[in-house]
Amino acid sequence: MKQKIQTAIFTMLIVAGSLFSVTAQDASTILKNMDDVMYSPKDLTGVNKIILIDKNGKQESREATVQQKGNDMRMLRFTAPASQAGIAVLSLPNDVMYLYLPAFGKERRISTSVKSQNFAGTDFSYDDMEAKPYTNKYTPKLLKTDATGFVLELTPKGQSDYSKLVVTINKANFYPEAMDYYDKGNNKVKEAKYIFKKVGNYWNAEEIEMTDLKKNHKTKMQMSDVKYDTGLSNDEFTVRKLKQ
Amino acid sequence: MKRLRILPLLLLLVAVTYNVNAQDEPSLKISGEFLSDERFLLKDKNDWAWNENRLSLKLEKKITDNSKFYSDVWLRNIGLPKLSASSDLYNKNIVNPYNLEIREMYVELYGFLFKNLDLKIGRQRIVWGTADRLNPTDNLNPLDMEDILDFGRRRGSDAFNFNYYLNNDFSVQGVFVPFFQPANLPVGIFANALNPSMDLPQGLVLKGFSDTLLTPKYNLGESATAGFKFKGMVKSVDFSLSYLWGYDGLPFVTRNTITPVDFFGGVNIKSQLSFARTHIIGADMATSIAGIGFWAEAAAYIPENDMVMTTDLSALYPLSPVPVTHDSVLLQKAKPYTKFIVGGDYNFKDGSYLNFQYMHGFVHERGNENLNDYFFLRYEKKFFDEKLKIAPIGGAFIVTNWGKIDSNYALVYMPEIAYKATDNAEITISTVIFAGKGDNLFASMNDYNMFMFKLKYNF
Repeated sequence: MKQKIQTAIFTMLIVAGSLFSVTAQDASTILKNMDDVMYSPKDLTGVNKIILIDKNGKQESREATVQQKGNDMRMLRFTAPASQAGIAVLSLPNDVMYLYLPAFGKERRISTSVKSQNFAGTDFSYDDMEAKPYTNKYTPKLLKTDATGFVLELTPKGQSDYSKLVVTINKANFYPEAMDYYDKGNNKVKEAKYIFKKVGNYWNAEEIEMTDLKKNHKTKMQMSDVKYDTGLSNDEFTVRKLKQ
Repeated sequence: MKRLRILPLLLLLVAVTYNVNAQDEPSLKISGEFLSDERFLLKDKNDWAWNENRLSLKLEKKITDNSKFYSDVWLRNIGLPKLSASSDLYNKNIVNPYNLEIREMYVELYGFLFKNLDLKIGRQRIVWGTADRLNPTDNLNPLDMEDILDFGRRRGSDAFNFNYYLNNDFSVQGVFVPFFQPANLPVGIFANALNPSMDLPQGLVLKGFSDTLLTPKYNLGESATAGFKFKGMVKSVDFSLSYLWGYDGLPFVTRNTITPVDFFGGVNIKSQLSFARTHIIGADMATSIAGIGFWAEAAAYIPENDMVMTTDLSALYPLSPVPVTHDSVLLQKAKPYTKFIVGGDYNFKDGSYLNFQYMHGFVHERGNENLNDYFFLRYEKKFFDEKLKIAPIGGAFIVTNWGKIDSNYALVYMPEIAYKATDNAEITISTVIFAGKGDNLFASMNDYNMFMFKLKYNF
């Protein structure tokens, strides 16, 4: 009898372990599929319109041109409003970032502590805007699967301002539809909604709406004139170009 | 005068020559800034300390994919009318003082002759150094000390500026400035801030003063400035090494002739001032460690010749068979002096920002024994969707003698509140409080505590 109980427990453990393994693997596969959708283009150029909406519904907008190559090279140059036109941010591998302010006429190295701050008055932090694959930064756990999507809980692998993210992924095309951000106290502090549209062979995040739930402030980032795989060279992501 | 005619011609020639194969790029970008800067003193009857209404007009034209024209012109109503006679009322420049200034005007050619060579010709600001606004290595452009509270402001120089990019991480820069441009000194209430104090022998009283400024001759050998810089990034650390052969833009008093004017010790002093040819070797770095931005910068100043101040007292001793003079050595080529600055900044998670710098040797200080220690600190935080920025801590602490710090220090406190009224308009109010003791620039300003109002509008 004792042996039977031991065998049963052992079998249950194996089955549970297998189930857990399948779930974890599925979550990882799903997240990897999402990364593939979001980050498979070799490079990207486009125009980014940023609309800031305060709690009274008052809107302000900014415009910037964006160039991106791979996951860690990006040049963002503001073209409007006039007070910000010409300001440019260059992001390079190993968290090297430069800011160019036309008024000072030189590039300035930015400390990496800026990553936790909001980018240019938006509700996105510099960290949120990173183009690094989620599989590199988070450990996924499948919370739910329904007819239209998967819901994953993402736990940061390293240092982060968030305790977890909860992302809803489109089942058919694997792009994210919504993402909720939780602080260290496990309170939901921000939520993002995505509208994806296919441009050529790739899915483009045509609009991302980020809401800061504490401040009741929204930012819409709209990408237009998007071109993928135009063969941007590394020379486009240099201090030389930043100052031009 | 010829020089002034040649430069715009040269710019035009380069632009036209380079434009031969240009595609039609009609877009001339016009942008600019309006700044209203008003200040009054806090003491007594609140005298007006500064009045400036500045239109900064920027024109930018892409000539081809590889070239552009840029200019920045200031049109300003600056200062207050200085009326002393009714005839002044006929002079509009006195009743309503204004000026026009070309801050920058250049053509930039990317990939000039070689793919990796960029050339910029014309009046331009060439900023060297990694520190925040106060850069010991930044010496190609003349100091613009008109507003002494606008630390680190410099004018553009008429220059040829070559940048050759060895690869994406390393570059070499060569700059040639054909003629010397001196610093311009503070105006308004700070006009005398940089004038050296004069110790007269006991019993003598200054009755009159005049001076003569000796400037380098306007020829290439005597007047030119040249600089080289090697810049790179290794293991996420930016660094540069630089060398400059130029002039110190602030003059030295090299001769004082003292002449008696009465029998009661009254004297006139006639001074002669000249500029020191100087070699400047610089180095700087910037990086980010554990989220904190770090930078450091140093420059060794090596005078080409000894700078000596000769005081001629011969007129006081008419019976002396030999000239009676006294020499004071101001700078020795065998004794270079080094200015340096180290600093850092940090962005806190609540959106606030801290910036700190320690500097040895302010822009006007020369000679090892005259370099003072400056500690700068600024803390700011943004509120209301970043529309309101409050900097409750801002300013500097200066020590001129660590051995007797209680009588040789200065404190400059500059809190500031800035409000973004619209996307393009910002209103800033701030105060400057000076306190201190001893013989240093900022301790001597304690009569000039002031309130400042600025409105900035970009278009």
